[in-house]
Amino acid sequence: MQISHVLPLLCSIALAATTAHAKLNVVASTPDLGALASAIGSNHIELTVLAKPTEDPHFVDAKPSFKVKLMRADVLIEGGADLETGWIPPLVDDSRNNKIQSGQPGRVIAAEGISLLEIPATLDRSKGDIHAAGNPHFMSDPANGRIVAAHICEVFCKLDAGSAGFYKANLKTFTDLLDAKMKEWKATMTPLQGSSVVSYHDSWPYFAKEFGLKMDLFLEPKPGIPPTPAHLAQVIAEMKEKKIRVIIVQAYQNRKIAETVAGHTGAAALDFPLFPGYNQSYIDWIDSLVKSLSSTLNK
Amino acid sequence: MSQAFEIMQWPLLACLLLPGLLVYLGLQIIRREIIFVDLALAQVAALGSSIGILMHFEPLSWQNYLLSLGFTLIGAAVFTFTRNENHRVPQEALIGIVYVVAAATGILVLSNNTEGNEELRRSLIGDVLLVSPRQVFCTFALYVVAAVAHYIFRKQFLALSFHPENASQISVRTWDFVFYAIFGWVVTSFVQIGGVLLVFSYLIIPAICANYLAQKLATLLLTGWIIATLASLAGLYTSYKFDLPTGAAIVCMLALFLIACMTLGVFVHKKRVD
Repeated sequence: MQISHVLPLLCSIALAATTAHAKLNVVASTPDLGALASAIGSNHIELTVLAKPTEDPHFVDAKPSFKVKLMRADVLIEGGADLETGWIPPLVDDSRNNKIQSGQPGRVIAAEGISLLEIPATLDRSKGDIHAAGNPHFMSDPANGRIVAAHICEVFCKLDAGSAGFYKANLKTFTDLLDAKMKEWKATMTPLQGSSVVSYHDSWPYFAKEFGLKMDLFLEPKPGIPPTPAHLAQVIAEMKEKKIRVIIVQAYQNRKIAETVAGHTGAAALDFPLFPGYNQSYIDWIDSLVKSLSSTLNK
Repeated sequence: MSQAFEIMQWPLLACLLLPGLLVYLGLQIIRREIIFVDLALAQVAALGSSIGILMHFEPLSWQNYLLSLGFTLIGAAVFTFTRNENHRVPQEALIGIVYVVAAATGILVLSNNTEGNEELRRSLIGDVLLVSPRQVFCTFALYVVAAVAHYIFRKQFLALSFHPENASQISVRTWDFVFYAIFGWVVTSFVQIGGVLLVFSYLIIPAICANYLAQKLATLLLTGWIIATLASLAGLYTSYKFDLPTGAAIVCMLALFLIACMTLGVFVHKKRVD
């Protein structure tokens, strides 16, 4: 075969390779971030979410598939603020994938750009699982979800300029819907402003702040430390005094303890998922939180 | 297949290089009837590392390593002095007591510290999937030293494990302490990589399998090594293929090999009787 014959063939192969759109390989540490990535990237990305919706985001066990996904990832989205500090760094080190090392455009730290709550004035481990950077459970505030979605969109546009228009349009659709729903959620929650809710772990300060709830009583004596009898007695007394009617609890927490306290106080132990379920969108998740909490508080 | 290798190469190397010495030590502790001494020493080491966390050392720092090593040596001393001839108090009972008390103390020590939970969990399950090349080589170097020591002093160690009645001519206490000290060091180093479940399995299961099939030390050792290697390969492959937690997959694979050896052992035994 002569070179003049081969050349056009090679050119056409090269052309086919560039036009056949390569999807961005996106890995998200937790399902809330995954839900946002999916809203923006839709079918232009190949998405993997590492933690299960019911899993404690502080501890996730590595599986071989995690290694495969991270080796090939173009983008890694993590919450940051020390949430995944126990398991993401060893996985990233292990992957030896330059695109997702810290400082690279492919490493998205969602907490950047969020004003975090509960930043400790002094770092003292005796206060329990205090995160130096502030409370990392910021995604339960839709206003923060809005910021993170824009952040993710910006990164996708940079790394996959060919689909930038698509990503931007998706962001607009998402943001418009979120803004409309936000009005609904506010309308539902406004009458309940000032209500007290007990939580197992200090995971909901952002949700509480956005919707005007009081969540300053926890079943854990200090964040991350299992409930002790003396502390629970104190919580029960305080709940009775303030007539608090709801305890929210997550799947990976000890529901029995929440139910025992609820039994002593006549309150309801309400399942309050920290993350969207499989195939649940971010907006549907917030929607379900607002609905279940408001209906329990209205009882 | 090349991808499987790429993903699993360091766990594979760890599971091929490191169990060799564990199987050998396993044969000895089975003969000494102190099966749970490894769990107890691992728990004592974990207690040392818990106390390190309380003193604000990072979990993988050298200070913490020294603390857990120090606790292991204390444990070794305790077991040296509790090996006695009082048959009304079996040593296994004391080993069990050390295990639960060390575990309970660890829970108390860490009850006011949040990193504790993570640490206790990690010491149980380990993270063999994410083992780093450095960890593999450092631990292997340590194992080579331990194996050389065991080879040079094989007369003393084997006499203590296999023929304690003839061991009167050597200083029993001294050599027992050396045995436990080396053993504790070997075990706690592997706990850092594979967790308590995996280290127990590598120590005991291949050695038990071998005891079903063979009698002489050389054949026991060879059988144990073959079983540990095959079960490691099969366990790692299963973990990769079905995306399962790696350490637990190897433990269950070792159990399958045990069932196979028990079955095979029935026939071997029958043949010998005939």
